[in-house]
Amino acid sequence: MIEVVLNDRLGKKVRVKCNEDDTIGDLKKLVAAQTGTRAEKIRIQKWYNIYKDHITLKDYEIHDGMGLELFYN
Amino acid sequence: MANRTDPAAKSIRGTNPQNLVEKILRSKIYQNTYWKEQCFGLTAETLVDKAMEIDHLGGTFGGNRKPTPFMCLVMKMLQIQPEKEIVVEFIKNEDYKYVRVLGAFYLRLTGTDTDVYQYLEPLYNDYRKLRQKLPDGNFALTHMDEVIDELLTKDHSCDIALPRIKKRWTLESLGTLEPRRSALEDDFEEEEEKDEDDQIMDDVDNGAHEKDYYRGRSPNRERDRDRKRDSHRYRDRDYDRERGRGRDRERDRDRDRDRDRERDRYRLRDEKEYGRERDRDREREGREWERRDRDRGRRRSYSRSRSRSRDRKGRDGGDRRKRHARSSASPRRHGDGMDNGSTRDEPKKKKEKKEMKDDGTDHPDPEIAEANRLRASLGLKPLKV
Repeated sequence: MIEVVLNDRLGKKVRVKCNEDDTIGDLKKLVAAQTGTRAEKIRIQKWYNIYKDHITLKDYEIHDGMGLELFYN
Repeated sequence: MANRTDPAAKSIRGTNPQNLVEKILRSKIYQNTYWKEQCFGLTAETLVDKAMEIDHLGGTFGGNRKPTPFMCLVMKMLQIQPEKEIVVEFIKNEDYKYVRVLGAFYLRLTGTDTDVYQYLEPLYNDYRKLRQKLPDGNFALTHMDEVIDELLTKDHSCDIALPRIKKRWTLESLGTLEPRRSALEDDFEEEEEKDEDDQIMDDVDNGAHEKDYYRGRSPNRERDRDRKRDSHRYRDRDYDRERGRGRDRERDRDRDRDRDRERDRYRLRDEKEYGRERDRDREREGREWERRDRDRGRRRSYSRSRSRSRDRKGRDGGDRRKRHARSSASPRRHGDGMDNGSTRDEPKKKKEKKEMKDDGTDHPDPEIAEANRLRASLGLKPLKV
């Protein structure tokens, strides 16, 4: 289980507990449940790399405590 | 400026009509090439031509969330705000299904509640297939009535938040609408008569089967009619326009032939052996489902016995008893719990206990339990430690 921090730099900072083998799509659902946005409207990025929905966190090498950027579609 | 709303346009739901589409999506549409090239300076008449050319519906797709041409045209309609008669014409036209969907979508966004129900409900009878672009860029098959149902019941469609409309029963109680008369009412009576025969089958059927069954039975007549109509249209107009452009004549002809052969096969099967064949198939399939369910149950308990050595004896004992009881290979019905009622309860209880733990919702740490509850509600597996 890892904990990821998502920050949208406009006031929304969310800590989400998830498994390493969860996909980004699952992570978006968890974030949506916590922030109240819809899961399809969320975009997770790291600098200019937009993270794709079907790839797992482990494959993106997202570790415990890592920060991701939260954007909206 | 190209993106300003028509100054003569009325405000909808208290705001500029273009604001019905939220800011981020609006900016995406303004930056889109289709919008800039094709949708510049469109009027109601020229919009119709553009609408006839679209061949799929959808919201945004891809990593950048690119809008589809359908979205751009919806935006254009919001910008120029055509009159209600024109929109109703869009909906009433039978030839171009995407024009119909466009009109229906626009009406759902801008029309009053009564109008929405009045004009969109007749479209429930349209069973034509539509191509939908999914957010990941692939295409999916959907039908006109599914799309209309989504528009009337859900509050999000094609990435646009649909404005709230009153529920149907509210309008009925106010008297502004009449109670809904389905076009399938006559067919319902037929179904009720045949319900007794099919009750057994219904118990065993999968949910997906029921859906096919339902659709296959009642609107069969209309569907055949539609299919015949569609076959001409699909072959001549849509098909040529969608695929014929820029491709070999030969390839077209080959594909035409293959398609005809496929369709003929389906039609033959439907028309000839409809009633009997279907029932027989369903019975057979039902039996397979039962057997598969049973096998799955057995396999599940088997693997679990491997992981927990202490419980193995108990597990195997239960299984062995189960296997003994089911000595005959003939299929068992659900209600037939006489032989193995007692033996079924024990493994079931053990399974339930295991499932509670697997779910993780009763983890000692309340935070993790809470997180697991959320994950279970979203359909995800529980957290690992």
